[in-house]
Amino acid sequence: MIASRVAVAVAGLLTVLLLQASLVGPLTFPVPVSLPALLVVVVAIYAGPGIGMGFGFATGLVADLASDHPAGVQALCWLAAGVAAGVLGGLAVQRAYSNRAAAAMAAAVATAASFAQSIVLAIVGSHGATVWLALRYLVPVGLTDALLALALVPLVRWLLRAQGIRAPRPVGEVITRVDVAGGSYVGR
Amino acid sequence: MRRLTRRQRISAAALTALALFFISLDFAGGSLSDAHGGASGAMGSLYRGSDSVIGPLRRFVQGIPDVGQNRREIADLKQENAGLQRQLTATQADAATAKELARLQLQSDSTGWQLMPAKVIATTPSAGFEWTVTIDVGSREHVVVGQTVTDGVGLVGRIVSVHSTTSTVLLVCDPTSGVGVRDTRTGGLSLAKGSATNGLTATPIDGGADLKVGDQLVTGPAGKTTYAPGVVVGQVAAVHRSADGTVSATVRPTGAQTGLNVVGVVLQTPRTVARQPITPAGQP
Repeated sequence: MIASRVAVAVAGLLTVLLLQASLVGPLTFPVPVSLPALLVVVVAIYAGPGIGMGFGFATGLVADLASDHPAGVQALCWLAAGVAAGVLGGLAVQRAYSNRAAAAMAAAVATAASFAQSIVLAIVGSHGATVWLALRYLVPVGLTDALLALALVPLVRWLLRAQGIRAPRPVGEVITRVDVAGGSYVGR
Repeated sequence: MRRLTRRQRISAAALTALALFFISLDFAGGSLSDAHGGASGAMGSLYRGSDSVIGPLRRFVQGIPDVGQNRREIADLKQENAGLQRQLTATQADAATAKELARLQLQSDSTGWQLMPAKVIATTPSAGFEWTVTIDVGSREHVVVGQTVTDGVGLVGRIVSVHSTTSTVLLVCDPTSGVGVRDTRTGGLSLAKGSATNGLTATPIDGGADLKVGDQLVTGPAGKTTYAPGVVVGQVAAVHRSADGTVSATVRPTGAQTGLNVVGVVLQTPRTVARQPITPAGQP
């Protein structure tokens, strides 16, 4: 189960980085749209913050190492995005948000992650990134992320429901054990 | 809203610290340059491998916004191409004109005639029944009625009307045209009359003259010809003998009759130099 989930994660990571480098990046240049960040956010919304942070960190680190800017910038930002999306995604799952609503949420978080990434890159002085540019591209990035998310959300939902990839059902955690009249009571 | 478990919080903190550590490590001294190189190389290989699949799609999508611009560029290129084509045509026409002028110059050099170069600016206005052309020289250039017109190789016709800046040339093939010719082989004189598309028909003045296919005919002093002498009129293409013994010949004109461009009007032929009498050999 875990092996298949890891394999799917690696495949998804490589695929999304390839698509970003060879399709999304060139097509949206110079607007810094990030498909991997969006994927991390969507996965985190449906799979939770734990998977979101791990997937975000791993994807960000590979993307960092394959880039010229200091390693760790995208890992940090997408880790944070994964955590935030995982936490906020609880609402989407509990209230059974539609794909469009989930896409809007994903676009907002991914846009915030891209903005944060631009700010961090501006701080470390990488590739002429500036706060002004980050602000200037905020709306275009948001709109593009929303469009991409409309396609990505149903795809990720469908993949995460697939047999072998589906997250294990949460089990109760033993937090205390109380002895009751010679027997035992296990409760949360 | 979900809450982070304690383990997740610890993991997030650890990963954040790790990311910050990577940033400081890479930012300070580029200690991760090898890792950068390896990852870039690996991803570069993947990019190259996937480009054959994704590349065409990307290029198609990238081309969509440029459709209008490409159309404009195509229109501009077509216009530019048309301009270049015009230039090329003009250059070719100039080359042809230069060639024709060179022929006229050569004829002038060899005969001593004064030739006024002229350009054919119009053909006959009567839709083919009258073999005339209009040239762009006239009385201002001292052109007068009756002067010979040549293309530098052969006879074209003669001037039949002159205006200040233009003149009309009656081509030798016109059915009303007649020119006295001399057979360069036999010296026999004939009268060549225009036969329109059939060229000219030459009728020897001497009924029993010996005309053969291939004989070259030049303008000669026969009848009331006003042509400059010695201009090649054409070549005998066929000889016909009628039942009464009359001989006539179809002559293919040497000078162009159609597609004329530059011609020369013979303004003046040199005065005949006083000849020396022939004296017996040995006497001065």
